[in-house]
Amino acid sequence: MARFFLAQFGLAVTLMVCGGCHRADQSKKLFFIIVPSEDNPFFKAEADAAAARAVALGYRVRVDAHDDDAYRQDNLLDAAIASNAAVLILDNAGADASIAAVRRATKAGIAVFLIDREIEARGIAKAQIISDNDQGARLVAAEFARVLIGKGDYAELLGRESDTNAQVRTRGFHAVLDKFPGLKLVAAQSANWSQSEAFQKTETILEAHGEIAGIIAGNDTMALGAAAAVKSAGLSKIRIVGFDGSPDAVDAIRAGEIQATALQPAVLISKLAVDEADEFVRTGSTGKPEEQIIACDLVTRANADEYRNFEKVR
Amino acid sequence: MSTEMQAASRTHRSAGAAARTVLLLLRARAILVLLALLVLFSVLAPEFLTANNLSILTKHVAITALLAIGMTFVVLTGGIDLSVGSIAGLGGMVAGYLLTQGISLGGPVHYPPVVLVILITICACMVVGVLNGWLVARAGVAPFIATLGTLYIARGAALLISNGKTFPDLGGAAGRAASGFPAFGQSFILHIPSPVWMMVLLFAIAWVIAVKTPFGRHVYAVGGNERAARLAGIRVPGVKIATYVFSAFCAALVGLIIASQLEAAHPATGESFELNAIAAVVLGGTSLMGGRGTVTGSLIGAFVIGVLADGLVMLGVSEFWQMVIKGAVIVLAVGLDQAQVRLQAKLLPYLEAER
Repeated sequence: MARFFLAQFGLAVTLMVCGGCHRADQSKKLFFIIVPSEDNPFFKAEADAAAARAVALGYRVRVDAHDDDAYRQDNLLDAAIASNAAVLILDNAGADASIAAVRRATKAGIAVFLIDREIEARGIAKAQIISDNDQGARLVAAEFARVLIGKGDYAELLGRESDTNAQVRTRGFHAVLDKFPGLKLVAAQSANWSQSEAFQKTETILEAHGEIAGIIAGNDTMALGAAAAVKSAGLSKIRIVGFDGSPDAVDAIRAGEIQATALQPAVLISKLAVDEADEFVRTGSTGKPEEQIIACDLVTRANADEYRNFEKVR
Repeated sequence: MSTEMQAASRTHRSAGAAARTVLLLLRARAILVLLALLVLFSVLAPEFLTANNLSILTKHVAITALLAIGMTFVVLTGGIDLSVGSIAGLGGMVAGYLLTQGISLGGPVHYPPVVLVILITICACMVVGVLNGWLVARAGVAPFIATLGTLYIARGAALLISNGKTFPDLGGAAGRAASGFPAFGQSFILHIPSPVWMMVLLFAIAWVIAVKTPFGRHVYAVGGNERAARLAGIRVPGVKIATYVFSAFCAALVGLIIASQLEAAHPATGESFELNAIAAVVLGGTSLMGGRGTVTGSLIGAFVIGVLADGLVMLGVSEFWQMVIKGAVIVLAVGLDQAQVRLQAKLLPYLEAER
């Protein structure tokens, strides 16, 4: 019995400690930051950058994740409303499924700033700041064509098919690659943004098409999965490119395991969103258009040292 | 009576009183945990104990509570329903399809009125419930396996309806007859959100069924001793099928509420909701072996889970700690349940001596 009460006591202490350290001056305005997940380096970098900037500007901050679940996002939004948040920085859980949520927050007097993903509605959020997926995809596809010297068979790993970004990226890839008559797409598979799935899919693709010259992937996680499969198959000539600019991918580029990625300026976008939100809180206007599209950077072995954790540091 | 005997009897009596107090505390553990959480969050988060937040909180609790109430009957028969989250997802997609795509029988597209959409959705979900019940009661598939199967089937069906996409704008667009769907889950009656009313109503109905009707007694009998129940003339398969259909009905309500609140239907809605529902039922003191438990307990269990989830978010506790703490509370509650059973057996002599 004693053990149970001890456990309960321990729980209470944990709660108080965790709660205590997040309690801050109630007179400061609250910035609520909601991202898809905190165990993914991209969203973590995005959340950390936004939180750090908001704290530096003198706001209270709360960070949470919706796990790409529109209903959980809705519940977190309720918490933001109940906590009288002034600003919501949101990387949303779906372009269609989030419209009602953003509208509800706006009605409740919260200024909503969307980062990374847009919603299919204008005039509700104060700003929608996203990276240019199409431009990034074209950039990385051009580099892919360059390293393949414009010829050879290649495979494509696509992201989750229901995700808008997966569609935009593959369209961007093909807008460039289809212009090279020497490049031939021999396999296109969705690996759902997942590293392990990309590993398995690539192994299968290599069984059928061992002679491919390159693999173009819709994100870095899949590119790294493909690189691991290529390595375990004992092949080394296959060129791989990804998308996102994750730290692992930048390391792999430095090591020569993959050739290039398009870095999404997640940290920059978060900082812009917080700065504009600060401007809005103080003056009632962001002074910027709602839609802001930020260009991606091409990262290759030549400039890999200039980038760290979704940010250009040099 | 000699003085020694009197003294012995007195110590026995006071031990009996202590034993009764301990047991009472253990029986009321869910409510005690709930009160402890409410006090804790009220102290730590100044915005927690406001009318606005409590209304929001109860609205969130309603989702878990509706599923847990349905789940209680299934668990009482000794079964389990893993498919409720998927059924909720399927329900949302059926409603989303009917509202945005309408029905076309070869001719022009016809958009059914919202009430009809809701009824069709509930019926579609109850079909899955019938399948669950049939698999368990007639085909003899273990409940865990049968409902694990329908978990995948219903989720797959939900994804197939839209090919993985979201049905947006369920608020009603120009040219479509169906408007007013958002009112289902978003409206307020006497300042109380509609999902809360549904929870209260469903709880009242479920309580009456469990406590006052022959069917309720049959459910307990089937879970307590299936063979004895059969020999007593209870139609065991019928009782079991009814519990799964009721559970599916509750899941349909949840699917409709969420689609209505989001004004969009997403096929992945409701993933892992079944685990919250089962946790609420178990927190409420219902035995997974069947035959023992109450609907009231499940409602309190749902409140514990809901208060914990919302309170931790308000405190700004990291998502990872939220998971750890939630798991710890569930394990703790079930541990206490076992302690109660053991302690009850041990303390029996003291309680007897008191009489």
